[in-house]
Amino acid sequence: MPENIVESHDVHKTYESNGLAVHALRGIDLAILKGQMVAIMGPSGCGKTTLLNTFSGIDDITRGEVIIEGQSIHRLSDRQRTRYRARRMGFVFQSYNLLPVLTAVENIELPLLVAGVEPKAARARALEVLRQVGLPDQANKRPGQMSGGQQQRVTIARALANQPAIVWADELTGALDSETSGEIMDLVVRLNKEEGQTFVIVTHDANVAKRADRIVHMRDGLIETDTRAAAGV
Amino acid sequence: MESLFGIPIGQLLVTLLVVFALGMAATAFLAWRNPVLFKMAARNLPRRPAQTALIVLGLMLATLLFSASFTTGDTLAHSIRVQALTDIGLVEVEIESERREVSGRTAYFDAATVGRVREALAGAPVDGILPALRETVPAVAADSSRNEPRVDVLGVDPAGLDGFDPIVTASGERLDVAALAANEVYVSQDLAESLRLGVGDRAQLYLRQVPSVVEVRGIYANGGYFIGNLGMLLPLESMQAISQRPGAVSPILVSNRGGIVSGADATDAVLAALEPIANELRLDAQPVKRDALEQADEAGSSFATVFLLFGNFSIMAGVLLIFLIFVMLAAERKRELGIGRAIGMFQGHVVRLFLFEGALYALLASAVGSLLGIVVAFAMVRIIAAALGQLELDIVFNFQWRNVLIAYTLGMATTFLIVLFAAWRVSHLNIVRAVRDIPEPRARPTPLRRLVTRPHRFLVAAFARGYLAVVLGILLTASGLSSTQAGPFMLGTSLVIIGVPLALHHAARLNERIAYTVAGVLLVAWWLLPFDALEGILPDFQQGIEMFILSGVMLVIGAVWAIMYNLDLLLRGIKAVFRRNSRLTPVLQTSIAYPMANRFRTGMTLAMFSLVIFTLLVVGFITAAFSAAFTDVARVTGGFDVRAEASFTNPIPDLRAAVDASGAFDIDDFTVIGAWNGGPASAKQQGSAAEPVDRFVTGINDDYANGVNYGFTLKDSRYATDRDVWRALVTEPDIMVVSAGLVPSRSNFNVGGPEQTFQLEGFYIDDGVLPEVHIEAAAPVGGGTKTFRVIGVLEDGAFYSNSMVTSQASVDALFGQPVPELIYMLRLRPGADPEAIATRLEETFLTSGLRATNLQTEVREIGSANISLNNLLQGFMALGLIVGIAALGVIAARSVVERRQQIGMLRAVGFQRGMVQASFLIESSFIALLGIAIGTALGMALSVNVVNEIGASVAGVRFVVPWWNIVIVVVVAYAASLLTTFLPARQAANVYPAEALRAVE
Repeated sequence: MPENIVESHDVHKTYESNGLAVHALRGIDLAILKGQMVAIMGPSGCGKTTLLNTFSGIDDITRGEVIIEGQSIHRLSDRQRTRYRARRMGFVFQSYNLLPVLTAVENIELPLLVAGVEPKAARARALEVLRQVGLPDQANKRPGQMSGGQQQRVTIARALANQPAIVWADELTGALDSETSGEIMDLVVRLNKEEGQTFVIVTHDANVAKRADRIVHMRDGLIETDTRAAAGV
Repeated sequence: MESLFGIPIGQLLVTLLVVFALGMAATAFLAWRNPVLFKMAARNLPRRPAQTALIVLGLMLATLLFSASFTTGDTLAHSIRVQALTDIGLVEVEIESERREVSGRTAYFDAATVGRVREALAGAPVDGILPALRETVPAVAADSSRNEPRVDVLGVDPAGLDGFDPIVTASGERLDVAALAANEVYVSQDLAESLRLGVGDRAQLYLRQVPSVVEVRGIYANGGYFIGNLGMLLPLESMQAISQRPGAVSPILVSNRGGIVSGADATDAVLAALEPIANELRLDAQPVKRDALEQADEAGSSFATVFLLFGNFSIMAGVLLIFLIFVMLAAERKRELGIGRAIGMFQGHVVRLFLFEGALYALLASAVGSLLGIVVAFAMVRIIAAALGQLELDIVFNFQWRNVLIAYTLGMATTFLIVLFAAWRVSHLNIVRAVRDIPEPRARPTPLRRLVTRPHRFLVAAFARGYLAVVLGILLTASGLSSTQAGPFMLGTSLVIIGVPLALHHAARLNERIAYTVAGVLLVAWWLLPFDALEGILPDFQQGIEMFILSGVMLVIGAVWAIMYNLDLLLRGIKAVFRRNSRLTPVLQTSIAYPMANRFRTGMTLAMFSLVIFTLLVVGFITAAFSAAFTDVARVTGGFDVRAEASFTNPIPDLRAAVDASGAFDIDDFTVIGAWNGGPASAKQQGSAAEPVDRFVTGINDDYANGVNYGFTLKDSRYATDRDVWRALVTEPDIMVVSAGLVPSRSNFNVGGPEQTFQLEGFYIDDGVLPEVHIEAAAPVGGGTKTFRVIGVLEDGAFYSNSMVTSQASVDALFGQPVPELIYMLRLRPGADPEAIATRLEETFLTSGLRATNLQTEVREIGSANISLNNLLQGFMALGLIVGIAALGVIAARSVVERRQQIGMLRAVGFQRGMVQASFLIESSFIALLGIAIGTALGMALSVNVVNEIGASVAGVRFVVPWWNIVIVVVVAYAASLLTTFLPARQAANVYPAEALRAVE
């Protein structure tokens, strides 16, 4: 029986914005199975990105608990959390966030080097994932020399380089046209099947959500619906 | 300080104020017409206070350097002026005879002459005419036996004191010279303290070895009457009796109408009134007040000039920083500007926006710089005073708001012009790319033929592509060749070196890396060619201090280009070295990739650091080289250990005999007793159209000629060795040797020093050959005229020698009478103590007023003073490091903002806070250390050439590496750089990943 890789209990997140308190998350209870691809959807301001940030440990929570691989992530120190992210998580952002001054292969190997992998091994692994995402000839190109789709593939490659347990993706196809978005989702689905990584994808795009195993709808900081949740998970 | 680089200060101020006023008026008018733009500009200043502070720090440097230089000059001029006015008092003109006594002293006047002077000045703007008699004699306190070898004793006619300084005690009580009886005197405060004299005490004066006892009747406050601080005043008749010269007067002092300073204004009228009788009575009327004021001003201007010249590199670095800052501000505002253009702002509005912001920064920075410059100058003059302690100059801190205003307006003008250029450049942005914050693509160069209709763009493009640089270079080279000036020649050839590879890159598609590397390397190699090689190519070329400035700029441009276009190779090497440390690898990867990607910023910052470090170290190397020369005391002094000076009033006819007869010495302690006689003569080169100038002609004795160790840079081919030349001086008649200063050089690096009033013509010291040269010397009245053949030019390091040296016999013949020896240069046997011998000489020959100086101590003191002054100069130039440091700080602060999202991503993928901080610090360290390394390497390389060149003419100067100096410069520069980037690095480390990932500026 597949086990939960992510569990959250009554997670609240409040932050200040222009002097006002914003209750971004108002009690999230969510469990994600290992190897699942989960899409988080909802209108702007519903708390999807905040959910992704808090669950991945990038952001703190106000109340509650997030357990990842059996570990309460917010009980760890910032240092421990950062180390955990380096070794067990991958991130894909809408605006790619590739370092413009590094080449594709250098961007991909960066998390590996951070995790303490030997440079030669890191380079070899980076080239391998670059092949996996279909861009073996882009290794020495800089982000400015690549198209949007290619950059997003490199970002996905970077996210997968350290063979993470979970990949957190925020608006994976937000900056891409529909054809490229389709190609990216094909890639993600294939990698999910081949590598067995858990994917949590925040998205506006229904076409993207359709490809996921499960769709979680949010509104006003709460989970509204969790489709396929009733399908025995 | 009345002039700067030859421009009268008043004129400079007016010009700058007009330019400043026009600029500010135009800006104010535009601000009034565009209030929203002005508000936008003004509100940007407090938006990022730390960044604003850094910008103000960087921008204020040029103004600070101007202000500090001017204020230092003002203070020194003022201090020297105050000292001179204190000493001279209300005396404006001093009249002496052109004739000389047998002793060499100026001749005395008689009562009839005094009467003629009074008649001549009857209608002149004169307050007082004072017949006086002044002698400089040794004095010994009767009770304490304390002594002073040189005391100025001035006898004054009590009836002539009106119009002159009142003689007052320290408490203000007036003293009346007329009330003094025979052999009663008033003594100055300093003399009273030195000899421990009080009212009623007695002292002995020795005049021509005859003692006279005087009694102190009062102690006056120092100053006035043009006698030193060790002075005595008494009635003229008493003085005439003591000196056994009844009726004798010398000098006649004249006080002009007006105050202590304004009296000098009437000097021309007074001199004109004296002219009719001057020739007839052989009068020498010296405008002592005006001369002193001019000398004070020249000294101040000299210091200011030296500091400004050497501060040039820092000012240049400051200009680069201003440009860099405004380019970065433009990058920061890109999105706003794009939005502004999108909604209807014109390009001109963008220019105005930056102009307003730049003007506000400039106003603030120039004010800060001007005021801080005064503070810096305060510290500088303290150091100068300590270094020049032997001059016993009281430093009176002084600044003139006029000069501070000049510094302010100069700084404003510099900043404003750069801002204008940067604003114009920034206004050409692509609206869409600006709004979306997408980098501008690298533009393909527009073919030149399409730019023909736009002249300014055509010229800029033609220069940037090398074509115009080559054409200009050829023209400048030709100009330099035809005028035999090294400056245009070297600049022209440099432009050709730069232009040809660039032109090949554009015309023949030569690889960019190769083009810039070749240009850079060749430029460095060309400017580092040994001077011998250059002299082989350009044997007759002349050069000045501008070559130092040009060489620095060209070397830095060449080195920075070559490095920036090969930075990837350097970085690969660094990565390979650190590859084994896998923890450092991701940090290194990011920290050195950014400088590589931002070639403009990195190159500018490298240039700033390199320029300043280069000049600092060149000065350091030159100081070390001269210090090395000063450690060899024997070489500096010509092999002598003690210098002794007798006085006109009590000459010692034969020092050797006197020393032997005294019983106080072992004559064998003195291996050489060299002696000089001499006097002032009017000299000119035979056949020259130049007017004769006054020069001191020195006559040496046999002992000196046989003992002195100085060599000759040039000598008559008839003499095989330097010793032959010295021997010839005392054995052959009518020949002389001259100092190197009398012979012009093609290299004139005289900075801020007085112009040589007399130089030989028709050859240069660099020629290596002494042609047939004769000097005509005319003695003052009573002597004759002689023509001397010049048989040698002394080496540059002959510090203890005079400008014209011949034999004592020739001097006697020139002046028409035996001229007494007054200066002795003594060499002692090894093991003899020069300090003890100097002291014993003064004690033994007390009544002659002999002053003896231990030359080892004096040379060490001079060397130490030189080092202090050079260290001060280095410290002043080191202020330029503020520029490089500010640049790093601004870049780091800007980078934290620009890379906020990237920092968030790095934190997300596992970069610890410390790794982010380390990444920023390593990035700054890399740029700082590379800039320091370039500056150090270039400084060292050029210094080898400079020191070798100086060492060829100044004996003892040799290349010495000032390790401590280098270490201090490098450590201070690097540490300061790290400090500036520490805060931005911490800010980067504290970036909250979640916020950063959403960040929009």
